[in-house]
Amino acid sequence: MFKELDPILHSQLRLAVISLLISLKEAEFTYIKEKTNATAGNLSVQINKLKDAGYIDVLKQFKDNYPQTVCKITPEGISAFEEYVKNLQTYLNK
Amino acid sequence: MIQEENFNEKDSLALIESMIKKAKNQFSENGDSYLLWGWLVFFCSLAQFVLLHIMHYEKHYLVWMLTWVAAIYQIFDLRKRKNKLKVKTYTDDIVGYVWIAFFISFVLIGFTLGSYKLLNSGIWYAIVLVLYGIPTFLSGIILKFPPLVLGSICCWILSIISRYIPYDFQVLLLSIAMIVAWIIPGYKLRARYKSSNKSSLA
Repeated sequence: MFKELDPILHSQLRLAVISLLISLKEAEFTYIKEKTNATAGNLSVQINKLKDAGYIDVLKQFKDNYPQTVCKITPEGISAFEEYVKNLQTYLNK
Repeated sequence: MIQEENFNEKDSLALIESMIKKAKNQFSENGDSYLLWGWLVFFCSLAQFVLLHIMHYEKHYLVWMLTWVAAIYQIFDLRKRKNKLKVKTYTDDIVGYVWIAFFISFVLIGFTLGSYKLLNSGIWYAIVLVLYGIPTFLSGIILKFPPLVLGSICCWILSIISRYIPYDFQVLLLSIAMIVAWIIPGYKLRARYKSSNKSSLA
């Protein structure tokens, strides 16, 4: 029985962001950009989609007078990721 | 780069694996604190030995006041480093708490032994070496860094050895412990940090 994969996570860049954040306490936007090789504009759009789904928290603040965006996975994001991986296994075992 | 429309289940799994691997290779420990404290305790223990047994200086213990200067420097340095970090890991948090627990235990045991007037007895160095071993061992396990684990085991062996050597020479065991437990692993951590930063920029 194949379960539908979460459309929010079944997207290359959004999945990359969540997979990165699952192992970290929090990460700056610039760090995520560097690790995913994404453009700032595209990453910003995808991060907003993850935020709207409640999968990540986004904190905008100032550090040394420069704006800084920090992202952190939420408990809902962790559950969604775990569910996604579980459902993914049903496809891979077919 | 895989196109979004062709992104299938196998690609998903490969992507998850690669991103988790990237996060796992995130090293923020650059070895600076190990080197600062390693060299400081190494110097202080040697200096105390020279002041006490060669120069016969009565207030030989004053050399340890340098640790307070280092502690103040460490607080500012850690704050500066924390501000520079682009990412925070759970590993860093746990290692930090281990060292806080060590510092509190060290101060409390020092206070207790001091109040029983046992700081100038053979038991002090044995306890200090056991204490040095605990956070070093835990950090080595958490950071998956064998040189620290090896260093901690050396501290514990030196603690046993301290029982069998004259009190006057026990302070020198601290110098040996620092070389194996903090100085050598400190330089190796620095090398790992530099190479991981280089590869992440490549």
